[in-house]
Amino acid sequence: MIRHRVRVLAIGGGILLGVGILPGSAASLTLTSQNFTPYRTCSITATPATTTAMTDTTARQGTPAGNFGALTTLTVSSGSAVNQRIYLRFDLTVCSPAVPTSAIVRLATLRLYMTAVPAACRVLDLFPATAAWGETTLTWNNQPFGTTINSPPTASRTGTFSVGTPAGCQNLAAGYVTGGTVTTDVASWVAGSTTNFGWMIRDDTEGSATTRTATFTAKELATTAQEPQLVITYVTVP
Amino acid sequence: MDSSMGTLRRIAAVILVTAAGAVVGSAASLSFASGSLGAATTAVPRCTTAGLTVFQNLTAGTVSSITVGAIPATCGGATLQVTVNNGVTNSGGSAAVPGGGGSVTVTIAVPPAVTASEQTDLVLVGP
Repeated sequence: MIRHRVRVLAIGGGILLGVGILPGSAASLTLTSQNFTPYRTCSITATPATTTAMTDTTARQGTPAGNFGALTTLTVSSGSAVNQRIYLRFDLTVCSPAVPTSAIVRLATLRLYMTAVPAACRVLDLFPATAAWGETTLTWNNQPFGTTINSPPTASRTGTFSVGTPAGCQNLAAGYVTGGTVTTDVASWVAGSTTNFGWMIRDDTEGSATTRTATFTAKELATTAQEPQLVITYVTVP
Repeated sequence: MDSSMGTLRRIAAVILVTAAGAVVGSAASLSFASGSLGAATTAVPRCTTAGLTVFQNLTAGTVSSITVGAIPATCGGATLQVTVNNGVTNSGGSAAVPGGGGSVTVTIAVPPAVTASEQTDLVLVGP
């Protein structure tokens, strides 16, 4: 009988060791759980060129009645009567699985591929559009923010980044720009508290005496590695 | 002999019940002593609640790797597991987070094609 008990204890010790008990400690057992930090990301990419998941166009002050939604480039420009603004919108409903309205958006980043860098460091501002617009119908004249330059004011921007070749500028060279953080806007759209009409991007100081232009790839270029992207990182449990 | 086998079964049952309790109770810390069993639930804090940058690295129309940045030092030493799903292909990989945090690039084993949207799941395990 004693022989059997010893054998059982030996088996039991094996089980206990398996869950982390210290050898020789039969009176107590401590388990430690692993630390998990989960995130989920939805990356929306403007591909293929005909996708409706993303729409983009440029409004040009110099051609106020023209629509440029079919161009392969997007431009932000500051100059005397030649200012240009980008309008773009990502359809968040293409995320699969859908981003729950209760999700907590930790970070949302707009990624644009810059192909022409201005010689001066320029600050570009993002403003959430206030009304619907069409990729093939938007013009300088009918844009949601109106035709007054430097409007809306800088103070109402919800994102910003800088581009230009001078040292110290945030984005010095061609490639995907960094700094286009739009977490607040996307969180609001996900929660349904505001409507997603996309963004307008303009130079922080329109009407520059010397024209300064930053050029980005539009979805119409159909080059996957340069397409505009919106990256939404969120959690469903705080 | 029958008596010894009965004792054997009883002891084995106690061990099994104890082990099962340890699994079912998803507690951060569980202790017991002979003659009594106490259980408590303790939340294990995540290493960060910050927003991480998650950028796809695209190669030939596929998501070849994922670069996760802005990882704080509190996650240093953790293992980053990444899965990318484009609705057709589901693949992933993992990499260790440097001790000081920072940025980690995870190569995707079977790069999925870039589509209008991809879902990327991240899990930092540990540290």
